[in-house]
Amino acid sequence: MEMLLMGAVLALFGIAVSCLAFGAATRSEEDAPVAAKQPQPELAKAASAPARFFEPAPVPSPAVAAASRVPIEALLLQIENHVRLEQAAAESFMAAPDAALLHSRTMSPFVN
Amino acid sequence: MLNARPDLLHGLAEADAARVLALGKKLVLGNGAELFHMGQNAESLYMILRGHIKLTLPMQVRGQEGNVLVEERTAGQTVGWSALIPPCRFTLTATATVDSEVLALSREGLRALFAAAPEIGCAVSLNLATVVGGRLQVFQAMWVREMQRLVELRCA
Repeated sequence: MEMLLMGAVLALFGIAVSCLAFGAATRSEEDAPVAAKQPQPELAKAASAPARFFEPAPVPSPAVAAASRVPIEALLLQIENHVRLEQAAAESFMAAPDAALLHSRTMSPFVN
Repeated sequence: MLNARPDLLHGLAEADAARVLALGKKLVLGNGAELFHMGQNAESLYMILRGHIKLTLPMQVRGQEGNVLVEERTAGQTVGWSALIPPCRFTLTATATVDSEVLALSREGLRALFAAAPEIGCAVSLNLATVVGGRLQVFQAMWVREMQRLVELRCA
């Protein structure tokens, strides 16, 4: 009788542990805090996304994918253009040194 | 050919400027020709007489090495000042982007002239310091701008 009761208790305990584990594994995003559901920038989303074992690798954003399709020569030209614009900005700072001018926003599309 | 006094010869009397120019050897470069390569011994500095010279550094872009523009120089300006500054090795690669002509001034020739005529040496050295200092100031400003962008990205 005692053996039977012990077996039943252990079985119940096992079922309870299994239920808890199952619940934790299948908890959906609805349970997550509201703030987490707010739309985030692409980068932050990628960084905070939980890794799923069987999920396929994340697809790069269209902007990143487009940038990786740009031929290397075109990319070098973009960098060249960026250097020219930044040099012009630095030279205008040298003509009239001023913190606002030093940190003026770049016109370069390479970083915008 | 040059219309104004080259940056290296500012403040020199005509006769003294002529003595410096007499040391030079003209080099003609076709579009795309390399004047000097990063890492080479810098035996001469170059005064650009005509055309356009691009100074580049290698950069890895998507696993491939590309030469990225650092600076551009045109007629009247000087490139290759590493020839007078130890360890006398070029730290950039210089390439003509159009048909160009430069005057190569050898380190040995310039040193001999500076020893014989210290007033020329003083004026040319000051002009060289202006060229080097100008580049340093531009790059300081460019570096701070890049750092500012990096800080903004980090703190975003």
